[in-house]
Amino acid sequence: MNKPAELKDRRIIASSHVKLGQKNRKGQAYTDINDIFYKAEQKPSFLTGSEVIKEAIRRASVGTSVAYPITPQSEAAALIGELYAEGYLDEYFRGESEFAVMGQCAGSAFGGHRVFTTTAGPGTLRAIENFPMWAGSRLPIQVCVTCRGINSPLSIQPDTLEMHYLLEAGMLVWHAETAQDLFDFILKGFIVAEQPDVHVPLATCCDGFFVTHTKDTVNLPSDEMCLTPYDPYKSPVPCMDMETAPIRMMRDPFVMKSNYISYSTHASWQQEIHAAVERSRKHTIALLDGLIDEHNTDREILIVSSGTAVSQSREAIRLLEEEGIKVGLVKIKTIRPFPYEEIRQVTKNAKHIFVPEFNVVGWLAREIKATIPDNERVYVGPHVAGGMTMPSEVIAEEIKIHLGMKTSTAGK
Amino acid sequence: MARMNIRISGLGGQGAVTAAHLLAMAANRDGKFSISNPFFGAEKRMAPAESYCRVGSERIYDRGELVFPDVIMIFHPQVITMQKSYTAPFYSGIQENGMIIINTPSDLLNDEDRETLEKLNVKVFNHDATKLALDIGKTELSTNMAMIGACAGVTKIVSLDALDGALQERFGKKFVASGGTASLDEAIKKKYKKKNDLLKANMECITESYSLAQAWAEKQENLQLVAV
Amino acid sequence: MSKEKISICEDLADIMPPEYQELVETATYGKEDRGWKDIGSSKELIEQHSLCAGCPEALAFRYILASLPAPEDTVFVGSTGCTSLVFPHVAVQNIHSLFGNQNAIASGLKRTLKARFPEVEKDVVVLAGDGATVDIGLDMTMQSWFRLEKFTTICFDNELYANTGGQESGLMQKGFVAKMAPKGKNFEKVRLAEIAREAGCAYVAMLTVSKPNRVEQAIKNAVYVAREIGPTFIQLYTPCILEIGKQSMEGLDEMKDAESIGNRFVMKEYVTDEAQKLLDSIKEETKARKKAAKEAKKPVNV
Repeated sequence: MNKPAELKDRRIIASSHVKLGQKNRKGQAYTDINDIFYKAEQKPSFLTGSEVIKEAIRRASVGTSVAYPITPQSEAAALIGELYAEGYLDEYFRGESEFAVMGQCAGSAFGGHRVFTTTAGPGTLRAIENFPMWAGSRLPIQVCVTCRGINSPLSIQPDTLEMHYLLEAGMLVWHAETAQDLFDFILKGFIVAEQPDVHVPLATCCDGFFVTHTKDTVNLPSDEMCLTPYDPYKSPVPCMDMETAPIRMMRDPFVMKSNYISYSTHASWQQEIHAAVERSRKHTIALLDGLIDEHNTDREILIVSSGTAVSQSREAIRLLEEEGIKVGLVKIKTIRPFPYEEIRQVTKNAKHIFVPEFNVVGWLAREIKATIPDNERVYVGPHVAGGMTMPSEVIAEEIKIHLGMKTSTAGK
Repeated sequence: MARMNIRISGLGGQGAVTAAHLLAMAANRDGKFSISNPFFGAEKRMAPAESYCRVGSERIYDRGELVFPDVIMIFHPQVITMQKSYTAPFYSGIQENGMIIINTPSDLLNDEDRETLEKLNVKVFNHDATKLALDIGKTELSTNMAMIGACAGVTKIVSLDALDGALQERFGKKFVASGGTASLDEAIKKKYKKKNDLLKANMECITESYSLAQAWAEKQENLQLVAV
Repeated sequence: MSKEKISICEDLADIMPPEYQELVETATYGKEDRGWKDIGSSKELIEQHSLCAGCPEALAFRYILASLPAPEDTVFVGSTGCTSLVFPHVAVQNIHSLFGNQNAIASGLKRTLKARFPEVEKDVVVLAGDGATVDIGLDMTMQSWFRLEKFTTICFDNELYANTGGQESGLMQKGFVAKMAPKGKNFEKVRLAEIAREAGCAYVAMLTVSKPNRVEQAIKNAVYVAREIGPTFIQLYTPCILEIGKQSMEGLDEMKDAESIGNRFVMKEYVTDEAQKLLDSIKEETKARKKAAKEAKKPVNV
């Protein structure tokens, strides 16, 4: 759950949209994001992650969503269809493959709509050629990635390996821990991604089943408020609607494949995308209250993680506390942009840094090791993969074994 | 360790790519180390096309465009007059004591060009390779042969024998470097009744060009080309 | 965009290049009966092209751009290939995305433009080569037809992948020898026009680019039908003279051969009844309008 914060610290991305205060065809009032989260009353509901995605999109003034079935995001995608049938979205349809869906999303974004879609695992990989294309075309599309195993072999269960493939696509990549995070990140994500100095796509990741299919308490603002609409004319590149000169405009321009002009155009364009992701930091820090959350980071033993692994770590820390072992926790909320400075700061005192992950390669540990000095302090793991659960007991035991303490796993 | 870097700037359809490969193959036959590679965008006639030939006394690892050539060959006046080059000016990166061979009936350089090149002791050979190709090979497609011959005549980077052997290897059998190259192969094969006629005509272009270039080189003051 | 918006900022007018000034002054945006006959007396919407000399694609581009009913409210979606080399020179907004995804992009684009501008006719036109349409993009092309997306798909059919050096494509003829088909293509030229008809296109035309009148009529028909009824498809034979070993001057003759009786590019059209009704009524309207205009010009007998 988010920490409550003073409103006076929050007004960095205040909306100046002309429609602020007006009502849409569903009677919802276009509301500044700061008011939605920090002024309005938040009421508890008991919902699954899929239902939470629906509730977020209900308040998100989305123009187009395109859907395709794949576990575990099919429910969410279909629920968005229900919103469309009720009049909350302008356009919605089922595409024929994830590769096609992402292209259809791109077309809508080129035409000036706020676009949302979802995918998972094999679908993410099927779609992946589109993600750097979105980024290079400056399309602030949001894709909710409900992490699951990648073939081969096939596993529909949660696994975050797919996130590693997104890291260099030029997109923002945020990792939600809970359904509450997911709700918050989806709405705040549109606002950050659509900033004129950012304007790149966003992947809001959450772990399949652990979040999508698990019922949990979430605090939601009234659905009589919704985000201010996307303004395509605040984009740093022209909208493809033949409403703005210049008319001789091609997106993305096909630069001749081989000469110095095309190389430098390509290189500088890519640098601009990377700069845009960097520029999102200040907006994200303001809206998400920091790129990381930290608890007791003065301690010598730290767990640093993201997503569900953080939830499991919270439980593990409780267990260890009962035995008198004091462990601090760092929750990473954004993988891109990566919180380099923050991680360096909070790990300063740590002698042992554990990075539990739901994947077999340990990509998050790799990112952390590349960031901090004396990185032999990092213990890569524990890991589970293929969709396995990571019991908090396992985390606690790994920590104790690594520290040479007596363990009690015999027979468990 | 001696190295000669040759950059060829031409237009699609002139056989610039083949020229670089031939020089490299010939250098190989002469017992030297060599590498050749092309650079172009769309496979399109009259579009800029560059190719590079590196020849050295030791194994060569360098890849990609030749940013600092010793020898530049310009296969078509439009490379200069219409800026159909990948660098501006077309002689960017030319090394001191280098040389430039331009296929042109007239002088295309301006005063600034001449001044810059003189300071670097870079010699410029204006050579009407197209005319030579039409006279001897009876086709413009032999222009690249005339240019290769001129290059060899001045730099002596490859021998005439080696060029002959390379020619046999290249045109004797089917060789596909790229789609455009294959089409040009078809086109030139149609011009000659027998393959041998093609090889003979090409070699004549090379040899004639070689002599002309050699004669020109002997007249130059202070020609200090790299020797490999 | 209305013609009024296509203007030059006064403060910058003196530094705008003459080509752009001509575009604003004499291009036929907003002209009701624009067509290929405007070529020569007005500024064309294609500035130049960097295709091979004599390439029939260049010809096709000029006719198409001259024939669009409303270029000021048209957005193109193209794909990788020789055609994408031309689009930077085109004075109609266009999108180049991933190879083969042009019909997916167009689907999203058309729906969004319809939602954002319900009162304005925004035409979306796909223009891609045969590789993009029938091979790598076939699924998205056909699915956009299944879904009855309201835009026009134009395929520049040169019967191979020209831009990458002449490899076999689905629209190549059986037996033709090309890169990646060293023993000749194993299967027949895909009957894409028939597939389009079966997949749901309301208007389909297949022709070469040898006769500008025909090209103009086909383009107009396709756009009008896509506005009201459903997806439309035009397949244009634009031979790659380089890859078939011809000279620059020989493209036109090649097209004339291919469309002569008994050959594969004899012009054909598939029109649904609904589409035919629409086209007939448009024809009547146009005739009546032109007649009235002519009458208005006649001197009045006093």
